[in-house]
Amino acid sequence: MKSTRRTFLRNSAIVGTGLIFAIDLRSHAEAEASVEFSPNAFIQIQTDNTVRIWVTRSEMGQGVRTTLPMMLADELDADWSQIRLEQAPTIPRFKGIRLRTSGSGSTEGTYNVMRKAGATARTMLIAAAAEKWGVEPAACRAQSGMVTHTSSGRSLSYGALAETAARQSIPENPPLKDPKDFRYIGKPMKRTDGPAIMTGRALYGLDTRISGMLQAVMKRCPYIGGRVLSFDARKTMAISGVRHVVPIKSGLATGVAVVADNTWTAMKGAEALDITWDSGPNHNFNSDIFLQEMERAVGEPGFFVRGDGDAEKALPRAARQIDAIYEFPFQAHAPLETMNCIADVRANFCEIWAPTQTPTTAQEEAAKMLGLPLDSVKVNVTLLGGGFGRRLFVDYAVEAVELSHAIHKPVQLVWTRSDDMRCGFFQPPGIVRISGGIDDQNKPLVWKQTSVGCDLSMFGFPDEKALADPRHYFNDGSPWGAFDNPYNFPHLKAEFVRRNSPVPTGPWRAVEYPAQVFARESFIDEMAYSAHQDPLDFRLELLQPGDVLAIGDQKIDRARLIGVLELAAEKAKWRDVRPQISGRDWGRGIACNVYDQDCFIAEVAEVSVGKTGHDIRVHRIVCAVDCGRVINPLGIEGQTESGITWGLTAALHGRIDFKNGAAIQGSFTDYGVIRMHEAPVIETYIMPSEHAPGGFGETAVPAVPPAVANAVFAATGKRVRRLPLTSEKLQATTLARPL
Amino acid sequence: MSTFVLSVNGTDHHLDADPEMPLLWVLRDLLYLTGTKYGCGMGVCGACTVHEDGRAVRSCQVAISATKNKRYTTIEGLSADGNHPCQRAWLDEDVSQCGYCQAGMTMAAAALICETPNPGDTEIDAALSGLICRCGTYQRIRAAIHRAAASGTKA
Repeated sequence: MKSTRRTFLRNSAIVGTGLIFAIDLRSHAEAEASVEFSPNAFIQIQTDNTVRIWVTRSEMGQGVRTTLPMMLADELDADWSQIRLEQAPTIPRFKGIRLRTSGSGSTEGTYNVMRKAGATARTMLIAAAAEKWGVEPAACRAQSGMVTHTSSGRSLSYGALAETAARQSIPENPPLKDPKDFRYIGKPMKRTDGPAIMTGRALYGLDTRISGMLQAVMKRCPYIGGRVLSFDARKTMAISGVRHVVPIKSGLATGVAVVADNTWTAMKGAEALDITWDSGPNHNFNSDIFLQEMERAVGEPGFFVRGDGDAEKALPRAARQIDAIYEFPFQAHAPLETMNCIADVRANFCEIWAPTQTPTTAQEEAAKMLGLPLDSVKVNVTLLGGGFGRRLFVDYAVEAVELSHAIHKPVQLVWTRSDDMRCGFFQPPGIVRISGGIDDQNKPLVWKQTSVGCDLSMFGFPDEKALADPRHYFNDGSPWGAFDNPYNFPHLKAEFVRRNSPVPTGPWRAVEYPAQVFARESFIDEMAYSAHQDPLDFRLELLQPGDVLAIGDQKIDRARLIGVLELAAEKAKWRDVRPQISGRDWGRGIACNVYDQDCFIAEVAEVSVGKTGHDIRVHRIVCAVDCGRVINPLGIEGQTESGITWGLTAALHGRIDFKNGAAIQGSFTDYGVIRMHEAPVIETYIMPSEHAPGGFGETAVPAVPPAVANAVFAATGKRVRRLPLTSEKLQATTLARPL
Repeated sequence: MSTFVLSVNGTDHHLDADPEMPLLWVLRDLLYLTGTKYGCGMGVCGACTVHEDGRAVRSCQVAISATKNKRYTTIEGLSADGNHPCQRAWLDEDVSQCGYCQAGMTMAAAALICETPNPGDTEIDAALSGLICRCGTYQRIRAAIHRAAASGTKA
């Protein structure tokens, strides 16, 4: 940055969820020379009125490059058309500020920070105008990028005030707006990157090009934990345009990289490699057998998750008992943009361009590998062509660093679709057994659940000391969906039995909820049927008296869950007579969930099933959400539609199998995902709320598979308990109730 | 390596390339037209959809050697100023989420409404079910196609 355009950045740091702004590092002389105004890391106001806003979270479709600037611009009273977005790289400016994007936490985690950042600047701009005019700040107001002296009508633009504003003292607690005065927050705002996306100008990781860059593709070991024994690169090196062949050991699926002038040549070169693999210690691993082992473990005593009343004693005394086992298989993330990363390793510096959810981890790992100080590694975050949790791990970035280091050139390492499907992290499977008891008045009495599941290997397995604590998983609030089961049973017991496989596992959209919520919401339906009650009424009864459930460190407001259940039911006309479709059975199903105590959701699915072909069509899903104060209603609608479609893939198609230590599915032909002709009508209804805003990137996912399975049951009388819910499985399922 | 003349977005490009190189990689790596995306390389996701003489094709399935005397259009050339009815309709419906698939979706939709000016839902399903959006924006894509069709097909 040239000295004439120097900005006077104040050191800012964020500790926990609070924030500390504005340790003023300016010398008096610097302040005199300032022509731009940058009171904190997030904003810079230029003399030409441009408001630069740095986005500190990764955009992967969830809308952070729209919502975060909305929060800031609202408090800044900025003119939206003057805003220019920058993506925060790992540079000292952002030290101490979280750049990781995960856990649906961006809205919740930045709401106060962005607002305060904007309010700080607004307060200083008003002070600057007051100083220029020799009036009281209280006599001035800010609006749309201008400060106006109310009584005289004089006004100055933010750009004209930037220099004077930079000399103002930074307010410790700038006044925040009354929500009724919000100008952007709560109003529909279209995606800021839309025009760039629609003209092909938006740059994802794969689209980034740097000077002198080569392209690389790896041939990867198909076996989990396997490695290269030996390789012959003669055929590869004979291909015109191939530059280097380098074994790569640092990532998750090791192998041999082919570096070439362009991607196609690298792919061709990788294909031509002759590699002998050591299939490693897991070549006997089969997921079918692993799932059977998990299922056998449902009888084992497990870690404490919930214990209200005395389920063990009460269950045998219940007038009626039912029992079921549910299965959720391995899943892939399969974002449409495959993993990729550019690394440019120099003698004392490394620069990375990556579509990553966690640039600071990439920075740390690269620095560690290269023996460089942290500040000698800079990570630039591109747009992400989908994230869904996969890009929380930096294996693909570390590989690119290893490769660039080996060839002394900048290189872009591109994963093929098959690499992406077979060689990454997976959503682990879950087996859940639930036993329920109903009393002689048809009231729900007992819930006894054993969840068999995996630890996420990405976070490292818990050590012996942690596992010696029978409340280890409870203390973690895990498994999500079993731990925070919102229903009010007199006797409720839940345990967790851990079973780990060699398959690398990590967070997938909604993390632990999908497997648990599929079981829980399916079983609630089974109990309702057994108790001769309507599934909606049965749920509402189990949430009475609409109180707050305190469990561990969570507080779950059952009244808010009741609210969305009633809203979804009303909008879906739950109690209406079901339509008759010739040749098909039609049914409605309902399911609900609370995501991390913040977001409440209820979904009603309408399906029909062919009487002869057993083909399942999901016609419509009606969804009611309460996610606290809404920043961007268009964003909530989009994430509802997105989460529901994601959940539908899990409901109807998604499944990864492993045979002899390798993933079987390798593309979108065998890992089916929802496409246009299967996409249902999705209706989103948002409950107005003054509660703190909750994150919404994942909330809509978990309720979909059970809502669909419950609707299929309503249509056919057949209960499918193992996902995905295919017509073959439906055909093979016996009738659970007379139609 | 052989020499080819490739017509993209109204310009003839003279290129040296491996005859087997798919158009997708020619566009992305040789012409730096990165709006056309790689999603699978086997013709099953549609992210690489471009127009070949006005028809939607998968650029990952077209070798450079098969492009002679054909005219190609990519998202960068769909309109001069981003004003094709599909581009406008996509923005009006706020379709994009991550946006990675949307160039392919738009090109497929633009070809559809050129051929079938007022497509019904069944025709939309047939024309677009070969394309994947992992963010699940299908409902908005459908609405955008109807909107674009209603606004006329003139760029």
